[in-house]
Amino acid sequence: MRLPTVADIERRIPRPEDFESRARGTALTARVGSALGACFLVCFATGMWSHFQYSTPGWLTLSPNPTQLYRWTQGLHIVSGTAAIPLLLVKLWSVFPRLFIRPTTGKRALLIEALERGSIAALMGSTLFMLASGTLNIIGWYPWEFSFRRTHEAVAWVAIGSLLVHIAVKLPVIRQGLGESIEHPEEELEGSAPTRRSVLNAAFAASGLAVLLTAGQTVPLLRKVSAFSIRPGDGPQDLPVNRTAAGAGADKTALDPAWRLEVVAGDQTVSLTRDQLLAMPQRTHRLPIACVEGWSRSAVWTGVAVRDIIALVGGKPDADVTVGSLQTKGAFGSSLIVGNVVEDRRTLLALELNGETLDVDHGYPARLIAPNRPGVFQTKWVTTMTVKA
Amino acid sequence: MRALRVLLGAAGVGLGLWGLWLMRDFTREQLTSEAFWLAGGVIVHDAILAPVVVAIGYGASRMLPGHFRRSTATAFLIWGTLSIAFLPVLSGQGGKPGNDTILGKPYVLGWAVMTLMLVTYAVAVALWRRNRTATARAS
Repeated sequence: MRLPTVADIERRIPRPEDFESRARGTALTARVGSALGACFLVCFATGMWSHFQYSTPGWLTLSPNPTQLYRWTQGLHIVSGTAAIPLLLVKLWSVFPRLFIRPTTGKRALLIEALERGSIAALMGSTLFMLASGTLNIIGWYPWEFSFRRTHEAVAWVAIGSLLVHIAVKLPVIRQGLGESIEHPEEELEGSAPTRRSVLNAAFAASGLAVLLTAGQTVPLLRKVSAFSIRPGDGPQDLPVNRTAAGAGADKTALDPAWRLEVVAGDQTVSLTRDQLLAMPQRTHRLPIACVEGWSRSAVWTGVAVRDIIALVGGKPDADVTVGSLQTKGAFGSSLIVGNVVEDRRTLLALELNGETLDVDHGYPARLIAPNRPGVFQTKWVTTMTVKA
Repeated sequence: MRALRVLLGAAGVGLGLWGLWLMRDFTREQLTSEAFWLAGGVIVHDAILAPVVVAIGYGASRMLPGHFRRSTATAFLIWGTLSIAFLPVLSGQGGKPGNDTILGKPYVLGWAVMTLMLVTYAVAVALWRRNRTATARAS
């Protein structure tokens, strides 16, 4: 018995033409790919917008208006990412036979082909990475050693970059594919097999269903329909909780009757009890909690405007303010409120939620709530408020 | 068109390099883990998922009666891609201790219902197609 030669092995590896489904082809790939590209662009833009909120560069001042903006952009981020999953899988299915195209001969052609394949590997690796890491972050499972936020951001640039390269390389093929009819020519039709049309419809149906079955965590109308949403939408006082008091290591200190709010500006300090805060002018506003993980919910908050509180120590109504929390575990134990948000009278130190005293898991004795602000910066269990000079 | 392609390509390379630059201070441990996940997606798809799907298609196209093929392919596509999309919530992983406002739905039950509905769809459409072709032949 002789050992198999390279040629023997090569004969065993399928060729692109060995794949049977006639549904594959540029007409299908270009359509699914265009929809997928649109999802990725929306996902990228809304994602970068979110990164901006987390580390606002000096040249950008974020407005408290529109009130629901972050809710919309982050909801859209998760929705577009979710819609992309079935589309990406169908897109990959439609071009899988091309993996088996044999390398060309000639140094120059080979180099170009290697570069193109490299860009496709980068595109595929980075987009699968983005969707996998994003969906795992939503459920709070981190089976890796890297920082989610920084890596999800860096790889996003690689993904969008390799997507642009891919579009540049494929532009003539994309145009040709979109120009072709999705219906098969008569002679190609094999009675009962899946068609380009049936696969395209199924891909769009799957993408739409993926959204409908998860978006209830941010679209109230879909709450009952979304069997796979991560946040069913319930919680104490009809609002979900991201970090509980126990999870933040604030459960004992938050309920301590000795709690005081320390308001500091330079060498001036005022110390307020909860009753003293309740005796100040109360405002009630309906504002959303909008989490980076894509869930959001509006609620009715009652409390004292932050600008009224800092006025007690002579803080200007548009001063920058840092709020500190009793939180001892986890990130985001304090947050900065920029002057133009402090100035907005809807920026509250909330004491009540939906008409009841704040639940401890929602930040009792007092929490921050401001319009158009990512959930992690709506600091809970607030104990200090420092006016920046 | 050529100018547009060159522009897109150059912008793409620039943005990609910017992404790599953002990783410049990642530790070796972080980079190794990141590389594992980047390559992992490609390998899991190309070496496992795609061949399995091709094998299923090969088998189904030979074993299923003709009128079942298209509706089964449609149902399988939807079922497969959604099952992968919902894998995180079906995994039983994640969540936060003492917080029942997250991951609080019966996901496995939801998945079973979804599976049943898609099987029903595939069978119903196939039978409808069979009846229609039978009627067409009869007339």
